[in-house]
Amino acid sequence: MDDFIQYTINALTLGSVYALIALGYSLVYGILKLLNFAHGDVFMVGAYIGFGMLNLLGGATSPVVPVWLLLTIMVATAMAGCAVIGVAIERFAYRPLRDAPRIAPLISALGVSFFLTYSMQLLFGAEQRDYNAFSLDNGVLFLKGFDIGNVRVPLLRIVIISSAFVLMISLWLLVNRTRTGKAMRATSFDREAAAMMGIDIDRVIRFAFVLGSALAGAAGVMFALRAPASVTIGFVAGLKGFTAAVIGGIGSIPGAMVGGLMLGFAESFTQGYVSTRWSDLAVFTILILFMLFLPQSLFGRADISKV
Amino acid sequence: MTDAERPTPNVPDSLTEPAGPAVGQDEWVARHAERRLLRGGRLGAVEERLRAAPWWAWLTVFVCLAALLPVGFSSGYVRRVAFDTVLYMLLALGLNVVVGWGGLLDLGYIAFYGLGAYCYALLSSNQFDVHLPTVATVPIVVVVGAVAGWLIGLPSWRLSGDYLAIVTLFFFQIFIVVVTNGDHLFGHNVTGGSNGIGGVDANVRPFNLFGHDLPVAHSGSFNVAYLYVVLAFFAVVFVLLRFVNESRIGRAWRSLREDPLAAELMGMPVNWLKLLAFSFGAAVAALSGTIFAALNAGVFPTTFAFPLLITVYTMVILGGSGSQAGVIVGAIVVNVLLELLRDAGNARYVFYALIVLALFGVYRLSVRLAVVLGGTIALGFVVHGIASAIAKSNVDGPANGENWLIDGLRHWVIVPRDLGPWKQITYVALIGVILLLTLVRGWWRVALLVPTLYLAAFVWENVMLTAPEATRFIILGAILVSVMIARPSGILGERRVEIV
Amino acid sequence: MAEKLLELKRVSMAFGGLHVVNELDLHVDEGEIVSVIGPNGAGKTTLFNLITGVYEPTEGDIVFAGRSIKGMDPHKITKLGIARTFQTLRLFLNMTVIENVMAAAFAHTRAGAFRAMLRTPGMRREEGEIRNLAEERLAFFGQRLMGYRWNQPAYSLSYANRRRLEIARATATNPRLLLLDEPAAGMNPTETHEISELIGKLRDEGGYTILVIEHDMLDHGVKISEGSFEYVATDERVVEAYLGTKATATK
Repeated sequence: MDDFIQYTINALTLGSVYALIALGYSLVYGILKLLNFAHGDVFMVGAYIGFGMLNLLGGATSPVVPVWLLLTIMVATAMAGCAVIGVAIERFAYRPLRDAPRIAPLISALGVSFFLTYSMQLLFGAEQRDYNAFSLDNGVLFLKGFDIGNVRVPLLRIVIISSAFVLMISLWLLVNRTRTGKAMRATSFDREAAAMMGIDIDRVIRFAFVLGSALAGAAGVMFALRAPASVTIGFVAGLKGFTAAVIGGIGSIPGAMVGGLMLGFAESFTQGYVSTRWSDLAVFTILILFMLFLPQSLFGRADISKV
Repeated sequence: MTDAERPTPNVPDSLTEPAGPAVGQDEWVARHAERRLLRGGRLGAVEERLRAAPWWAWLTVFVCLAALLPVGFSSGYVRRVAFDTVLYMLLALGLNVVVGWGGLLDLGYIAFYGLGAYCYALLSSNQFDVHLPTVATVPIVVVVGAVAGWLIGLPSWRLSGDYLAIVTLFFFQIFIVVVTNGDHLFGHNVTGGSNGIGGVDANVRPFNLFGHDLPVAHSGSFNVAYLYVVLAFFAVVFVLLRFVNESRIGRAWRSLREDPLAAELMGMPVNWLKLLAFSFGAAVAALSGTIFAALNAGVFPTTFAFPLLITVYTMVILGGSGSQAGVIVGAIVVNVLLELLRDAGNARYVFYALIVLALFGVYRLSVRLAVVLGGTIALGFVVHGIASAIAKSNVDGPANGENWLIDGLRHWVIVPRDLGPWKQITYVALIGVILLLTLVRGWWRVALLVPTLYLAAFVWENVMLTAPEATRFIILGAILVSVMIARPSGILGERRVEIV
Repeated sequence: MAEKLLELKRVSMAFGGLHVVNELDLHVDEGEIVSVIGPNGAGKTTLFNLITGVYEPTEGDIVFAGRSIKGMDPHKITKLGIARTFQTLRLFLNMTVIENVMAAAFAHTRAGAFRAMLRTPGMRREEGEIRNLAEERLAFFGQRLMGYRWNQPAYSLSYANRRRLEIARATATNPRLLLLDEPAAGMNPTETHEISELIGKLRDEGGYTILVIEHDMLDHGVKISEGSFEYVATDERVVEAYLGTKATATK
């Protein structure tokens, strides 16, 4: 039973991170019908921005600000930095290809992904980095927490899960309760019609990238708080985030959240009950099965196009 | 449009008078061929002349030149690079079938390469104690590759471009996971796990004919015979693929690229055709895998990774997807470039040469060129002077890859002893200013180019040359993006016109 | 007495809750030219999509030459003998004129990948036959698509010629039934008249049975299918009555 609880906590933490990444994919795909391969690498950059901030503010062992402020600053700067990068990517690598055949922006995305990964390797080296979060404030993030049965849920996990949810709810509100959100939804249904209704398509698309990349940045920091990061985490995280988006129905926001959590559970429980080696395999197989047999996925919309 | 059906440039002779009134007829058509001549300027005329030559003549010339390469170059290293290039050309030909002819983004392509290599190793080593002769293993592996391609391609039945790309990527990941963990497959050591299959114990046999082994090394260095083997494979594959492309299947592939729905409704089984393309590509990749495994006397999972996939893709995209000649050119250009970038000294030559060539290409001999060149040189000396006046340590750091060029350039480009945070700052700044360059035009661009070029030289010397492995991939990524934006048909690809 | 070549039996097509075709009965006899007319949005192109297998009817059956083709893959339906043109032209623009037509011969030719790779005599002979077939089909249109035009890319053709090419391409599949979706769209009265005559010629000389979608009546003998079927307009638009055909809007 203890194991079960532990795995569930893991699942929720992992799932929150995946959900945040998945949201970025969904937002962009919904509007542009483009799979932004570079999204996972934006996530990776977020982790590194967090690391940079951490160092700037004294490092894990002797931060100059209280822990909660430190974490907030890290997440905020990561979100801001990644938003800028996301916008730049959209503007220079995708916008010129908006009317090109579908394969063109995909290849461009591959190029951007590669470019980002190895630029970061050039600038920061290929070795793994650790936030060393344990040292923060004498390990408060890990030692404090609450107990479920015999299992201690560290503060860090609670922080991650709750902040992720806060972000997701904010996003949901943004998309469903604001005018810009409505514009986004309109654009995702029919770009031309939206343009003819006076919606500034470029702004809407840029906004989607801002939101998606910011979330990815936040996810990056959260990820790195728990596990060592390197320049290659973007690739796998991107794949998994994408899996989550597809499972939940790409283009759907609640879908991305649910998909992320499901994926977190799938991975956590396979790691726990089967073996770590094969957990990735399980995840990938799940995706393929979903895509082949459940193209509608859980929340997605069918696309009816005129012949 | 195949080469055979391209219109010849002698427009007035072949144009028969169309019946009926001239008003409303397509005059554009009449001028079309002239337009093609004019396109590209001087280069266009040369292009026309070259295109007129039959393709097999080109192939023969190329193969002969390549076969004669060992005569001119006795260095084992150069010969090995030649081999690698031809192997890449093979891989590119295969990918061209899937991406260029079938229009499918197959991100799992390298998995078939790996599959071929592993199968060869399994059929010719001590792993399972199977030692088939090469005349048996190679065809078997090719068939296995074709079948695997068919199976992995099945999702394309239901999935469109982007989704198919992801599914193939996932198959790639599955392949990697299985192969890396294959030493515990249901209790059997199938793939040798992360150590692969190789080394003295595994004894992966090299290619053999009539019982005689073809040794992979001749007195310590690369055995040229393998170059000839891979050239032969390449020539055969090239010809066979070309024949398929010129048949009704090739026509169907072209139709499917143009408009899959219309193709289907004109009786072409689109899904089956996609599978066929997948299959062909996989078979060629698997074939390439066999030589690779034989020459390296083993297979290791780390070879078949994402960077290799992107490398082959860059070759195909840069060269021109859809054109066999194009992807060959792409393979040569990219592989040579990558080789040159391995060593910092060579990389430096490449950098400055390319910059100068690009400037001449864009600005020709003009005032602007003079301004850019002059300005950059002047700026350099000024900045360098200031920097060295502030502190000697600003400019006397060790250069990456010492050679005569950097010795000469030392007084122009700054090579500080200690970079500190400037490494990251200047790199990011360079990217920013290059992006900015794409937004401005005319004299603004000329003006902005001057500091950009100087900054680029600085970044190249001090940042990029410190990590050639990363730099090569950065450049590949940049090439992919730029080609898609500036010239999606690549160097030799078909220029597609879509009039909506 | 000519046989029913194509028969639709109580065919309905619904997208989610939107009924586009509602219990349609229709038949076309061999050798006939049948016009389908109605306002935009009435479901005419959907009808073609149903017949050619792009959509599968949610209810009812479609029978061609005595065989149910409901649920068949489009390319198989084409192979059985139904070909079509498109309301918005869908040519293979970057291919040459003759390649467009040759491509459509795929379904009734056989040389596979292996024979192609080896360029067997059989394959080369078949290629020659395909080429001849294409030239023949193009010759149907007089001089307009002949000679040097064969090797010009399809995007260089004028609009009217593109429409003709699309028809030629459809005939290269050796169909028994030809579906023409607004073949005269965007043409001036002279060209429209030409198309009208062409359709007659296709039936008389080509032997095709023809089903045409048009906005206006074309000026040769046209039979409107029995009046008991209904086309369903989408959503709220009020439909003008065409020659007494009534169409009703349904949710």
